[in-house]
Amino acid sequence: MTSSAAPPAETTAVTLKSRLSEIERVAHAVEAFGSRHALPARLVFEVNLALEEILTNVISYAYDDRVEHDIVVRLTMQPGELVVQVEDDGRAFNPLDVAGPPLDVSLQDRQIGGLGLHLVRKVIDDLQYRRCDGKNILVMIKRAPSPQPR
Amino acid sequence: MEITETRSNAVVIVTVTGRLDATNAHAFEEKVLGLIEAGETRLVVDCAQLDYISSAGLRVLLVAAKRLNATGGKIVVAALKDQIQQIFDIAGFSSMFQVYATRDDAVAGVR
Repeated sequence: MTSSAAPPAETTAVTLKSRLSEIERVAHAVEAFGSRHALPARLVFEVNLALEEILTNVISYAYDDRVEHDIVVRLTMQPGELVVQVEDDGRAFNPLDVAGPPLDVSLQDRQIGGLGLHLVRKVIDDLQYRRCDGKNILVMIKRAPSPQPR
Repeated sequence: MEITETRSNAVVIVTVTGRLDATNAHAFEEKVLGLIEAGETRLVVDCAQLDYISSAGLRVLLVAAKRLNATGGKIVVAALKDQIQQIFDIAGFSSMFQVYATRDDAVAGVR
């Protein structure tokens, strides 16, 4: 899981199976990546939250069969930003198309769903989606302090 | 994640420790909805040891609040760490839930 340090743009890739229990492994990889690059704890927390929401959606809804699929998460540190890419071979789904739930409503009117993608949009600075060769590719960009050389 | 349950008269305090995420939210849901089905109407979720929450955990709180609200009951939360408070804020939960600084305040407030 560890990749050799190759500044300036170091990428760590994690391939996980389409099971919820795999998300923890991704979280550990993000934490290790964060400490290697001296990223603030809050940023690591927010990236892990966004990844959990995206991966949970993919694992729960993207597949029409019961076969295990690979999902690839790539973390790349660039000057001033952390780029997180999630690639899956599930059915086409653009999270940017989903409207967030209305928040200024009473408890009884508040809808149950839609919260995960809303959180992603709130904690991630820039989201980009493309469908390419039968894969969903979601890029999440989080502005970050420049990497600290170690 | 660990869930423990304690009682203070008519109030049930559910303490959640660690990470509340998509892999374990079902256990939290069973606990909280089980209490409601058993007739409990005053619930405090003590988050002093909660390090992480995602939409899976928030969803359980929302479902519980809706059920209790329909029957005159109440669920409140206590002792949110900064990062949990932030998630509550951006999810719009801070205006829907009564958030108390301490567990004792929450127990007094939910009665």
